[in-house]
Amino acid sequence: MSDALVFVLAGAFATATPLFLAALGELICERSGVFNLSVEGMMSIGAVVAFITVTHTGSHALGMAAGMLAATALSTVFALLTLRLLANQVVSGLAVGLLGLGISAMVGMPYEGAVTTPIQRLHVPILADVPIVGPILFSQDAVVYMSVVLGASAAWFLRRTRAGLTLRVVGENPRSAHSLGLRPTRVRFLAVLFGGAMAGLAGAYASTVLTPLWSQGMIAGRGWIAVALVVFATWRPTRLMVGAYFFGAVSLLDLAVQAIGLGIPSQLMACVPYVSTIAILAIVSSDIARIRLNAPMSLGESYSPAA
Amino acid sequence: MRSKLILAAAALHLAAAPALSDPLKVGLLIPNAIAEVGWDHEIDRGGKALVQTFGDKIQLNSVTGVLEGPDATRVMNKMAADGSRMVILGGFGQMNDGLRLARKDPKLSLLHLGGYMNEPNFATLAIRHYEGSYLCGMAAGFATKSKQLGIVAAFPLPEVLNILNAWVLGAQSVNPELKPVKVVWLNSWFDPTKEKSAAESLVTQGSDVVYSLFPGTASTVSTAEQLGVYVTVTMSDASKFAPKKHLCAAQADFAPGFVRKVQQVLDGKFQGDDTFLGVKDASMAVAGLNKDLGEDHKKAILARQEEIRTGGFQPFQGPIMANDGSQAVAAGAALSDKEIKGMNFLVKGVDAKIPARK
Repeated sequence: MSDALVFVLAGAFATATPLFLAALGELICERSGVFNLSVEGMMSIGAVVAFITVTHTGSHALGMAAGMLAATALSTVFALLTLRLLANQVVSGLAVGLLGLGISAMVGMPYEGAVTTPIQRLHVPILADVPIVGPILFSQDAVVYMSVVLGASAAWFLRRTRAGLTLRVVGENPRSAHSLGLRPTRVRFLAVLFGGAMAGLAGAYASTVLTPLWSQGMIAGRGWIAVALVVFATWRPTRLMVGAYFFGAVSLLDLAVQAIGLGIPSQLMACVPYVSTIAILAIVSSDIARIRLNAPMSLGESYSPAA
Repeated sequence: MRSKLILAAAALHLAAAPALSDPLKVGLLIPNAIAEVGWDHEIDRGGKALVQTFGDKIQLNSVTGVLEGPDATRVMNKMAADGSRMVILGGFGQMNDGLRLARKDPKLSLLHLGGYMNEPNFATLAIRHYEGSYLCGMAAGFATKSKQLGIVAAFPLPEVLNILNAWVLGAQSVNPELKPVKVVWLNSWFDPTKEKSAAESLVTQGSDVVYSLFPGTASTVSTAEQLGVYVTVTMSDASKFAPKKHLCAAQADFAPGFVRKVQQVLDGKFQGDDTFLGVKDASMAVAGLNKDLGEDHKKAILARQEEIRTGGFQPFQGPIMANDGSQAVAAGAALSDKEIKGMNFLVKGVDAKIPARK
């Protein structure tokens, strides 16, 4: 039984990491007032480019860099559409997302079903050998630890830094931000690019570390879960981290319960993450004040300083 | 008068001649992208075998990535409109649209893989995966040290159940001390991350041989290699993804079925029947047996395969007990093809339940 517990809790970190990274990028993006629905497509592009890079160079660091770059390039298209041409954000996000899925399928065709080697897990001396806690906390791969640091940095950035304040002001009211002498379009542009880079990293992690293989459609809806997680976390990075790990743990619980042989129907278990998401969303949104306190006021609205 | 008749006959002949020498247009719908192993790869291989067998007598037109729904409907209707006289449907979910097309266009011959509905011009083809699965189960029974086996399976459908049961029966036939076999249902045809986690959870619970039953990807197989446990697999030899730990594959081959049905169309004798091909028809065979298996073990597996080929053995021969304590097959009886295709029980020694169905 404790084996299963360790499997679920230790595995949750790796399972949650791509969700968390992509959602963190989307969170920053939405905090600036831009609603980017192309996460799934950006993750796919990141995944395929990272996979190809790792296959040819053998370097995971290079693979992740390439994946981030590729997804950032795709997010530039989205940024130009919505921030320069002031196109509708929802429609542009869907279109760019589909474009990303299409490109990734095309680029990945020769690599369909291929596998590569994963990175080694880190083994923190002494601590990793502590029973139960060791394998859960001190024997993960480097990206998992990095994602925790990134999450904490994002929380600090939003709350404590001047740049973070600027980002929030732009998200609340770009017009006021502009009259204060800030540059909303530039801030939003950078936020969208950051969202792209994070989605790319998330995709790269999925295709080269979590399941080191490429297959068309392998992101399997995780980009959409990431978008939902941002609302779930009411635009707060720390809550986002909790939400992502909760989601990871519950999705593994389904498999562990079956492997132990408890007589719980697997379909029921497979529903749990989604049902609990809906339940928590319902609880969170029952308190309108809580949502209003955190939701960026100008989310989804185009803004042009000239207008 | 007579010369007119000859002229008319000649004209008729001239008109008919090009039609006779025109290649038969065959459409092939492949549901997903083609990988190096698996369902879509095998369908593609079957298509290539058609071209090799019939040469310029046929003109094959394959379209990949048409799973089901509007896209598949559009593609199959377009193929029919473009003069295809035969269309092979590779996706289970293409059944209803295919049937509609068959009823609308009686001159078209359709072949559907894995379905259960027939019309005079709508045939079905299935492979006896359970035969190869029984043989791979034997390999698993030989190879396990912990006596604990684990199965990663897609959905609890009848076809999956008969493959799963055959594997367990095969393992039990050579290893009577097995612990109850554990099963993880993915409830998905395609989710590499879930496949990997499922394999890991089975290994955490002590399994040292895992079975990747209808995998969407090579994820379970490569996970087994990383964790150092043996793996058996359906559809294709996946040794490439687990050079050390690939224990056995139930290799499917669609070519004999495809060739048989296309020949029927060429002869004008297409039948909307159900074709169920196995070891006897060269549509199923074990492949990629691990070198860690002893020579006598390999011999036993191949001898059993030979018995299946000659008709001397069938995996579902009674007595077989179900894991709810009831008797599934009486002593001396054997399941018919229809019963095998509609299987809805798990054999004794499987530590799982079939999720309740309405």
